[in-house]
Amino acid sequence: MTWLGRLLRRDRVERQLDAELRDHLERLTNDYRRSGLSEREARRRARLEFGGLEQVKEECRDVRGTRWLDEIVQDLRYGFRLLRQSPAFTFVAVASLALGIGANSAIFALVDGVLLKSLPVREPQRLILLDDGSWTNPIWEQVRARQLEISDGAAAWNDVRFDLARAGATEFVEGLWTSGSFFDVLGVPAVLGRTFTVADDNRGGGPDGPVAVISYAFWQRRFGGEASVIGQTLTLDRTPFTIVGVTPPSFLGPSQGRSFDVAVPLGTQAIVRGPGHWLDDRSTWVLEIMARLKPGQTVELATSALRSVQPQIREATLPDGWPQPMLDQYLKEGLTFVGAAAGPSGFRTRYQQPLWIIMAVVAIVLLIACANIANLMLARAATRRHELTLRLALGASRFRIARQLLVESLLLASLGGVLGLLFARWGSWIIVRQLSTPRSTVVLDLTLDWRVVGFTALVAVVTALLFGVAPALRMRRVDPNDALKEQGRTFVGEGRHSIGTWLLGAQVALTLVLVVGAGLFVRTFGKLATLDIGLDKDAVLVVDVDLSQTSVDPEARHALYERVRAAAAAVPGVAGAGLSLITPVSGAGWNGPVELKDRPEVPTRERMTFLNSATPGWFATYGSRLRAGRDFDARDVDGAPAVAVANQTFIRRYVKGDPLGQIVRFERGPEGVQPVQIVGVVQDAAYRSVRDPIPPVLYLPLLQAHTKGPGRLNLSVRAASGSPVLLTRSVAAAISQVDPDLSLTFRPLAAFVDGALVRERLLAMLSGFFGGLALLLAGIGLYGMTSYSVNRRRAEIGIRMALGAHSSSVVALMFRRIAWPVGLGLVIGAALSYWASRYVTTLLYNLDARDPATFFGAAVFLCAVSAVAAWLPARRAARIDPARVLREA
Amino acid sequence: MTTPKSDLPQGTLDLLILKIVGLGPLHGYAIAQRLQQISRDVVQVPQGSLYPALHRLENRSLLVAEWKLSDTGRDAKFYRLTRKGRAFMQEETNSWHRLTAAVGLILDAAEGEPS
Repeated sequence: MTWLGRLLRRDRVERQLDAELRDHLERLTNDYRRSGLSEREARRRARLEFGGLEQVKEECRDVRGTRWLDEIVQDLRYGFRLLRQSPAFTFVAVASLALGIGANSAIFALVDGVLLKSLPVREPQRLILLDDGSWTNPIWEQVRARQLEISDGAAAWNDVRFDLARAGATEFVEGLWTSGSFFDVLGVPAVLGRTFTVADDNRGGGPDGPVAVISYAFWQRRFGGEASVIGQTLTLDRTPFTIVGVTPPSFLGPSQGRSFDVAVPLGTQAIVRGPGHWLDDRSTWVLEIMARLKPGQTVELATSALRSVQPQIREATLPDGWPQPMLDQYLKEGLTFVGAAAGPSGFRTRYQQPLWIIMAVVAIVLLIACANIANLMLARAATRRHELTLRLALGASRFRIARQLLVESLLLASLGGVLGLLFARWGSWIIVRQLSTPRSTVVLDLTLDWRVVGFTALVAVVTALLFGVAPALRMRRVDPNDALKEQGRTFVGEGRHSIGTWLLGAQVALTLVLVVGAGLFVRTFGKLATLDIGLDKDAVLVVDVDLSQTSVDPEARHALYERVRAAAAAVPGVAGAGLSLITPVSGAGWNGPVELKDRPEVPTRERMTFLNSATPGWFATYGSRLRAGRDFDARDVDGAPAVAVANQTFIRRYVKGDPLGQIVRFERGPEGVQPVQIVGVVQDAAYRSVRDPIPPVLYLPLLQAHTKGPGRLNLSVRAASGSPVLLTRSVAAAISQVDPDLSLTFRPLAAFVDGALVRERLLAMLSGFFGGLALLLAGIGLYGMTSYSVNRRRAEIGIRMALGAHSSSVVALMFRRIAWPVGLGLVIGAALSYWASRYVTTLLYNLDARDPATFFGAAVFLCAVSAVAAWLPARRAARIDPARVLREA
Repeated sequence: MTTPKSDLPQGTLDLLILKIVGLGPLHGYAIAQRLQQISRDVVQVPQGSLYPALHRLENRSLLVAEWKLSDTGRDAKFYRLTRKGRAFMQEETNSWHRLTAAVGLILDAAEGEPS
């Protein structure tokens, strides 16, 4: 029998041991009886000769080698019984542990999914990424031609949204343009059908025509997981594609935080987009380029291999129309590879710092919870002291008693950990939903893998040690003799320097850090959310108009724009409409340097202006008022004098005197320097993002001088009243009457603005929530401490009152009790917050990380919470009836 | 109880038990009886302390036990020597003889020495 078997059959083993020993005693007794002794005498002699039955049993158990396990089972049983006996304590302890551990697991699942996890592909550590930014397709084709000199193969891709609809309103799916080598280089096989071959990537499609590979999730969602999906046709941007394969469920795409539904080869863009494709465009920077290291090759070796062919790559891909200095820079700038085991991700860059901060926050919350439970355990240990010392006196070893206390802690922590894991699943799911914006759905692999479960288990054990060690250590210092004499009347947690006081002080300090942090993030969010961006965000519906499928000639485009605008403006309920090239606060931008005649020495970087093209009525649509001059009108068309409207910042920075009628010159890409006359000044409004300070912006008439029509335009529609979203249907109908080949995407402007604040909202929400949780925990801790103190000093208070102490002085007595830990905690907490502020500076908006008002406010708030927590039990102390207490004593 | 009693040297009890059980399967009480008979009441251990030793030997797979009907009409636990136990007993017996011979030599020599 193995020790495990013996443990499992413990009862049987015990029964057999008992039977064996009794059998022996019986035989011995019988022999004595037979030799003529009386029954009683025979029994006495037998027992004498045999020795103590229980001692023998104990020795036999020792021999078994399962004693420690037996004892732990005993400890566990005992622990369970104790927890059942004090349900209130158990509930508070398990609930705060579940919250603390759960919060840690939830955030860790996110940290794991976003920051730590590698791509689910073959040997992800061999993947490298062409660093810093995106690349043009001509660059990719040059890299592709030399990929085997550089590495073990290279791949490129670009995120895109495809429209599944055959006509009319759009139905978007997340798409990827990929090189033919993409799935092979990443090492992602097909679970059904095949992935791409290099031939599929030929311009205009491979031997099987335009083909598509779909993701597992999309296969399940749209095709119900039918195997017959292979060979079916999928319409993407009005072009039919043949589905040839399905990727494994674990593969969500190359970038974390984003998933894909459909991948198609880059070369098919020539069919989908027609002449509008960017495959030969030397200034369209959209591709990510990844490569796989040869066995044994390092990132540095791959980079130097790339550098050796860099001149050819650069020479062959010089962007058109760039000024000479920029071209020189382009040729010079070294290409670099970086490791990319986790895939590239803008999402990761954006959320790295916030995630670590929140991870620290939840760790602190758990520490606060631990301090609470340690205090509770200390108080309980005090009331159990009599029981424990009795056991010591009866011969239990100190180790055994300390272990008993630790086992109880572990029991609590395990219960908390299991509940916490459930809480974590739910919590991380909620957070991911909060991260998604109308424009990008965030998808993360958050399945509970061994790392999250392992992390939770580790946290639970460490937690148990943290709050279990203090009472266990105290136990070791008790002399059983003294303790027995005291009859359980002594208590711990007294005096200025007791463990309890220090725990409470630490709790207050950590809570202050979290409250200060929450204050900073909430105020940042508040500032951003109420920022005056100069746009009526609640009145405007933004329509993305995709012109790539229209049959209208580029020459006749201007007329088409005007027809679209007029059709939208004529819809009932529409107060105004305008078209522009760039959508405000969408993240998109277009800029160029302004020529300053009188100050030619100013470097290019310091004389940039942002640009946009708009139709008449566009400013009014956004509620932007003209400060001087006029809006664009019917005069500003091709052939008429070039005009512009500038915003106030532009005027302040670049124009002297009366701006109206002045000529400004700016560099406009390949068209060179262009002079325009300022005919109007418009009030400042946010351009690219809500957060950025408002930049100088020069608006040009959309209907003037556009040789090649843009593939996309923004149509903005202002609702006369009510929600602009309600206009969607009628505007879509009106535009499809003008040209049914335009595909349209509708979004309210408010969605862009809110989408820009996702990170700030998340930080504010989480830090606020956990700050509140910390306050609650600290409050419970203070309440418990005071309450305990009141109970312990009942007799003393009774006597004081009998001698004439006023009830207010009793309350003051109780308050003095917590003044020391709270004061100490505030000082330490302020110092900690001051130190930690350096890590959050970049996440704040218009707010100093050491903002005195926030620090002061947090301290006052914390004091108020402490006062309430102490006042509740103190009031009870003041109501003690001295007569009753004295009678009890 | 008149004969002087000696304490058993460390480990000797195990060897004695193995030797006794080696003659045939026995239950605990019988082993205790034989121990007393063989040692002619010189060696006396409290009978209870036999059991930890028996269980230890069982744990080390030197003995196996099975429950069989005994003369009292009830099941009793009978111990039997395993092959491993027999080998162990041989080895221990030899080393016991070597040790006692050596100790005897030293003691005899010491007595013969003129002081």
